[in-house]
Amino acid sequence: MGKRKAKTKPAPKKRMDKLDTVFSCPFCNHGSSVECRIDMKNLIGEASCSICQESFSTSITALSEPIDIYSEWIDECERVNAAEDDGA
Amino acid sequence: MMMDLEDENEYDQQMDEEDDDEEITQEDAWAVISAYFEDKGLVRQQLDSFDEFIQNTMQEIVDESADIEIRPESQHNPGHQSDFAETIYKISFGQIYLSKPMMTESDGETATLFPKAARLRNLTYSAPLYVDVSKRVIKKGHDGEEVTETQDFTKVFIGKVPIMLRSSYCTLFQNSEKDLTELGECPYDQGGYFIINGSEKVLIAQEKMSTNHVYVFKKRQPNKYAYVGEVRSMAESQNRPPSTMFVRMLSRASAKGGSSGQYIRATLPYIRTEIPIIIVFRALGFVADKDILEHICYDFADTQMMELLRPSLEEAFVIQNQQSRRGRLKAFAISAVTDAVSQITDVVICRLKEEASNEGVFKIEIPTFYFMDSILFLATVTAILGRNGENGNGHQRYRFVTAGIAVALDYIGKRGATVGVTKEKRIKYAKDILQKEMLPHVGVGEYCETKKAYYFGYIIHRLLLCALGRRAEDDRDHYGNKRLDLAGPLLGGLFRMLFRKLTRDVRGYVQKCVDNGKDVNLQFAIKAKTITSGLKYSLATGNWGQANAAGTRAGVSQVLNRLTYASTLSHLRRLNSPIGREGKLAKPRQLHNSQWGMMCPAETPEGQACGLVKNLALMVYITVGSAAYPILEFLEEWGTENFEEISPAVIPQATKIFVNGCWMGIHRDPDMLVRTLRKLRRRVDVNTEVGVVRDIRLKELRIYTDYGRCSRPLFIVDKQRLLIKKKDIHSLQQRESPEDGGWHDLVAKGFIEYIDTEEEETTMISMTINDLVQARLNPEEAYSDTYTHCEIHPSLILGVCASIIPFPDHNQSPRNTYQSAMGKQAMGIYVTNYQFRMDTLAYVLYYPQKPLVTTRAMEHLHFRQLPAGINAIVAISCYSGYNQEDSVIMNQSSIDRGFFRSLFFRSYRDEEKKMGTLVKEDFGRPDRANTMGMRHGSYDKLDDDGLAPPGTRVSGEDVIIGKTTPLSQEEAQGQAARYSKRDHSISLRHSETGIVDQVLLTTNADGLRFVKVRVRSVRIPQIGDKFSSRHGQKGTVGMTYTQEDMPWTVEGITPDIIVNPHAIPSRMTIGQLIECIMGKVAAHMGKEGDATPFTDVTVDNISKALHKCGYQMRGFETMYNGHTGRRLSAMIFLGPTYYQRLKHMVDDKIHSRGRGPVQILTRQPAEGRSRDGGLRFGEMERDCMIAHGAAHFLKERLFDQSDAYRVHVCERCGLIAIANLKKNSFECRGCKNKTDIVQVYIPYACKLLFQELMAMAIAPRMLTKEVKAIKKKGA
Repeated sequence: MGKRKAKTKPAPKKRMDKLDTVFSCPFCNHGSSVECRIDMKNLIGEASCSICQESFSTSITALSEPIDIYSEWIDECERVNAAEDDGA
Repeated sequence: MMMDLEDENEYDQQMDEEDDDEEITQEDAWAVISAYFEDKGLVRQQLDSFDEFIQNTMQEIVDESADIEIRPESQHNPGHQSDFAETIYKISFGQIYLSKPMMTESDGETATLFPKAARLRNLTYSAPLYVDVSKRVIKKGHDGEEVTETQDFTKVFIGKVPIMLRSSYCTLFQNSEKDLTELGECPYDQGGYFIINGSEKVLIAQEKMSTNHVYVFKKRQPNKYAYVGEVRSMAESQNRPPSTMFVRMLSRASAKGGSSGQYIRATLPYIRTEIPIIIVFRALGFVADKDILEHICYDFADTQMMELLRPSLEEAFVIQNQQSRRGRLKAFAISAVTDAVSQITDVVICRLKEEASNEGVFKIEIPTFYFMDSILFLATVTAILGRNGENGNGHQRYRFVTAGIAVALDYIGKRGATVGVTKEKRIKYAKDILQKEMLPHVGVGEYCETKKAYYFGYIIHRLLLCALGRRAEDDRDHYGNKRLDLAGPLLGGLFRMLFRKLTRDVRGYVQKCVDNGKDVNLQFAIKAKTITSGLKYSLATGNWGQANAAGTRAGVSQVLNRLTYASTLSHLRRLNSPIGREGKLAKPRQLHNSQWGMMCPAETPEGQACGLVKNLALMVYITVGSAAYPILEFLEEWGTENFEEISPAVIPQATKIFVNGCWMGIHRDPDMLVRTLRKLRRRVDVNTEVGVVRDIRLKELRIYTDYGRCSRPLFIVDKQRLLIKKKDIHSLQQRESPEDGGWHDLVAKGFIEYIDTEEEETTMISMTINDLVQARLNPEEAYSDTYTHCEIHPSLILGVCASIIPFPDHNQSPRNTYQSAMGKQAMGIYVTNYQFRMDTLAYVLYYPQKPLVTTRAMEHLHFRQLPAGINAIVAISCYSGYNQEDSVIMNQSSIDRGFFRSLFFRSYRDEEKKMGTLVKEDFGRPDRANTMGMRHGSYDKLDDDGLAPPGTRVSGEDVIIGKTTPLSQEEAQGQAARYSKRDHSISLRHSETGIVDQVLLTTNADGLRFVKVRVRSVRIPQIGDKFSSRHGQKGTVGMTYTQEDMPWTVEGITPDIIVNPHAIPSRMTIGQLIECIMGKVAAHMGKEGDATPFTDVTVDNISKALHKCGYQMRGFETMYNGHTGRRLSAMIFLGPTYYQRLKHMVDDKIHSRGRGPVQILTRQPAEGRSRDGGLRFGEMERDCMIAHGAAHFLKERLFDQSDAYRVHVCERCGLIAIANLKKNSFECRGCKNKTDIVQVYIPYACKLLFQELMAMAIAPRMLTKEVKAIKKKGA
C-alpha cells in the first residue's frame, strides 16, 4: 500500500469574500433578514426586512448593488436619529 | 589544450613589437577570468549576501523598530498619592555590536570558537550580538512640568547570530593558506555555509517574482476578462506580504448590455469587489474626466486608447453627483451632454473608419480636434452647472468636486469590511485603504494621491497598450522578472521577525513591572534566547519562519553535501523555485533565453524538481542591493522633473523614469541621462551593480538598485573594439601581489561592467573577441556593427558540475545533465582535512588522478588539486559480452594494483544524556550481571572506558560505544532484582565491517561527555560496483578479467575498462570519444589536453596530433584476444578516458532474508535493508499471482510468510473468545459458552482491524457455520 502523506496539506488560499446581499435589519436587528430589490428599469431600489416588514426605498444608479441601498438606509436612519436627538 | 602553445608564443612576440593599443585575444580573456576567481572565489554570492546582512541589514532592522513606550495602566491606589501625574517609560535600541564567534563552556569560561571545534563538538558557530539600549523615564508633573531620567545600557547581549564561514566576521576571514591548515581547515574550502550543532548548513537561494513591477497578461478566452494587469507592490524595508493589485479589462463577450462594454476594473486590498477604475481616480481626488484621462492616456490624440476608456468613463459617470436632487438633475443634464458627446465621437469614429478604409491609415488630426473639444465642452458644462447651482460663488465648483470624491470614497468604503456603519466611517475607511494599502511602494504617507494616481494610470496605460496590440504581454518566466533571496535577505527576514518578537516581549515584561510598581531591570527584560534559538531552529531544520507557524517554507537550509568537492561547490551555488512540484505547467521548468550566462543550462535534477532547482553559472553576480538615494539625487541634479512640476500633457514627449519600479518623474533628454549614468557606473561613482535599462520604444528608463538581481560581467565594447587592451592584460599578469590591481581594478577602469538580465535586453553582445575583429575587418558579413559588449568567454555559461565535462559542446544535451548529476556522486578527495573531520559518511579515493583532458574552468574549481576520478585505459568493445546493458568489464589485475580502490568512513556519535538533575547516562562496558536489555552483538571490542579503541577490527553487530542508563524506580519494579542498569549501547550497522579509525571524546555545548567514533573500511572494486565516464555513461562492473585474459595491443597495453559499443550510438556522447583521442595525445606528449567548450579545437587537429605520435588517426588499435591469442577482426577504439567511481556499491546494497525482525504493531516483516527487512510482495505482484491462479502460493506469500495468527472464536456470537492454552480452557463470557469455540487462522493485521472495530462498537462476527444453522440454534 502506498505511504500515507506525511503532512496535512496547507489550507487552500482564502478567496476574497463575496459582497453581502443580506443584511441585519436596523429595526428588528435580525442578522440576515434584509434583502434588496433592484429595479433597473425605473432606477429604484428597495430594501425590506422579511421579519419586521420595515422597508426603505431609494433611487439608484446603474452601478448600485444591495449594499448601496442598505447603506443609504443606514444613513437615513442615522439622519433621522440625529434630527430626533436635536429635537429632544 | 596546450597544443596551441606555439601560437601563444607567436602572440607574445607580436606583442613586444606592436604598440600599446594592441587588441587582446581570447586567450587573454583567461587572465581576466583568473583575476575574477582570485578575487571572488566560488561562493561570492553567499558571502556578499551574508556580509550585507551583518554590516547593514541588521542595524537597519534595529533602527526601524520604533521606541517602546509604556504608560502604566491607571490603577487606583487609595492612600497612595503619586508626585507625578504620569510616568512614561521609553526604551530605544541603538548601535549594535557583533563579536567574533565565541563559545561559553559549561564552567563559564568563554573563548573564541573555531570552525573545526564547532564541527567536531557539535557546537554552533555563532557570534554574540550586543546592542546599546537607552531607557528614559519621563515623569509629568500635575502642572505640566516634565522630568526626564535617562539611563544608558551599553552593549546588552541580545542573542547569538550564526556566522557564515569565511565571511568578514568569521575567524577564518582572510587567513593565509598556511594559517588555515594550522587551524585544521581545508585551504580549498570556500566557506559560504553555517555550522549549526556541528552540521554544516547551506542556505539555498530562493527564487521569487520581482515586486513593484507591472505585468500585463492576455487571458485565454473564453474568460471573463480579456486582459489583466497586475502589480505586487511592496514598500521597502517592510516585512509585510506584498499587496497585489489587479486591473482587469472585461472581455467583450462577458460584458452584458452596455455600449461596447469593455469596462476596466481594479481590485483594491480588503475591498470585496472590483471597483471601476474611474471611481478609484475620483476617490484619489481626480474628479473631472479630463483629469482622469490625462493620467491614463497622456496623449488625447490617441483616439484608439481613448475609445477603449469610454465604456469605463460612462460606467462610472453616476459616481460624482448622486448627492441630492440637485445633483441628480445635474447628472441628468450631464448625461444628456455625454450622450451628445458620445454621438459626436461615434460620428468621428465612423469617419475614422471610412478614412481608414479609404487610405489605409488613420488621420488623427481632425477627429482628435472634435473629441478633445467634446471633452473640454463636457468639463465646461460640468463647471458651469456646478457654478450655477445656488448663488454662483466660486466655492461651488470646489464643493462639487469634494462631493464627487466623497461619493467615490463612499462607494469604495461600502464594499470594504465595514458593513452597516455611518457614512463618515466608510469614507474614512476607504481613505485609509487608499493611503496605506493600495500600492504601498508608491507611498503610504499623506498626500501621495498624485503619485498614486499617476502610477495607477500607468498600470491602466500598460494594460491598454497590450489590449491595443501595441505591446506584447509580459513574460512571467523572463529572468529579469525574477529575484533571488540569498542568505542575507533570508536571515534578514528571520531576524526582523525575531527582533520584533524580542521587543514585544520586552514591552510585555516592562508593562508588567510598571503595573506592579516594580523596578524595571532591562537585563531580565531582554530575552537573548529569542534570537539565539530562533535563528538556530530555522537553520537547523530548514523551516523558514517560526516553529509550527503557518506560511513557513521547508528545505531552505540543507546539510552541505560533502560527497566530493564539486558536489560541495555546486550545493553552495544552488537555487530553488518554490513552485509546487506537482504542477503540470512546463513553462517555469524550461530553460529561458534570459537565463543565458546566469543559470547553468545542463545542471538540473531529473524528475519532479527538473528545471525548478537550478545552479548558478560560473560568473554570476547576485546583487546585494544598494541605496536608491544616490540615484534619486543624481536624477534630480540632472534634470528629472517630478509630478509637481509637470503637466500630464508633456509625458508623451518625455521619457518616464522608474527607480526600483517606482515612477519618479520624467526626463526630456534620456540619451544624455543614460550616457551619464553609464559613465558614472563605469567609473564606480555609481554603484556597479545598479541596473540601467532604457526602453526606447516604451519611452521608459528603468533603474534598479534592489537586491537579488542576477548580473554578470562583460567586456565593454566601443566602436567594435574592446576597451581592455593587451597592455592591461600584461599589467594584470605581472602584478606582484594579488591584492593590487586585479579584478576590482578592471571594473574600476571601465573595461568590464556588470549587466543584469533586464539590462542585457538593451545590449548587443558579441560572442567572441573574434566576432569583433570580423565586424571591423568585414563589416558587410558581420552579424552586427553595433556591439556594445563582448562575452568574456562563452564557456562560462556553465555551472560547477558541467564545467568538469570535457567537450560538452559535442554531447547530446541530456547527457551533460546526467553527468552533472553523477559528478556529485563521484568519489575523490572532498576536502584536504578529511582526516580531522568526523563526517557521518565519507568516501575517499585511494589514488585520484588529475584528468589528462581538462577544461579551463577546472583550474578555478580546483579539480586538479581535489580530483574525483582516474585516467583509465578504456576500450570500446564487446569482448565476451559481459558488458551488455551498461555494464563494464574491468581489469582484475589493475584492481589488484589499486585501481579505483577507495576508503569508506562512517562515524557514530553518542552522548551521556542527563535525565533530571541526578541521573546521568554512563559510557562504560556493560555487565551482563546487572544490565538489562543487552544487545546480541559482541561487547568484547570495548575498552574499559566503553569505547572501541582505534585499530580494532569490528564487524556485524559489534558494540562500539557502550553506554548504560541507571534504572529508574518505576522501571525497576517488576524486574529481576539483579538489574540496576539498562543498556543503551550503539553497535555497528549489521551489514558493515571495518576498523575503528578514530575516537573523539569531548564535551558538547551542555558540558556533557560526548563521543564520536569513526569506522573505516577499504572498498575494492568488484562486480556490481558503479562507474561512469564524464559523459553521462554510467555502468556497473559485469565481469573482471585478469590482465592475461584482457585483449592487448602491439605495445602490450591492456585496457582497464571495456565498455560495450552499444552504449555510444543512441546516446550520442561524441565528447567521450574526442576525450579519448585527446587523452591519448596528451599522454604521449606529457601535457594536458584542453577540452574547454566553444573553442576552435577540432577533431581533425587532435587526430593529426595523434597521427604524429605514431598512432592510427582516430584512435583505433589492432588488438589480440586475451583468451585465444588471436587477432581481433575489428580494430578497437582504445585510449585513456577519465572515469569516476560512484558511491553506489554492491556491498551497501546486497540484501536477502529468510526470516527476521517484524514490526511490533502489525507483526509483518520489517522494511528496509538496514532493519534486515523483507522484500515486499506488492499489489502488482499480487495481481500477477491472481492472474496465474496460483492461490496457494499467494496465500503463502501474503499470510504464512507474513503475519499468520490464530484466534479463538465463539461459534455462537462469532467474536473472539478468551483462550488460555496453558490451562486448555476456552470461554466466551458474553455467551457463557465454554464449549463451542473454534480456532481460526487470520492475519495479525486482520485481528487488529477486528479489535479496532470492536473498540468503536462495531461487532465483526466470524461465522464458522452456515448462517441458517446458527439461526436454528438461536431459535
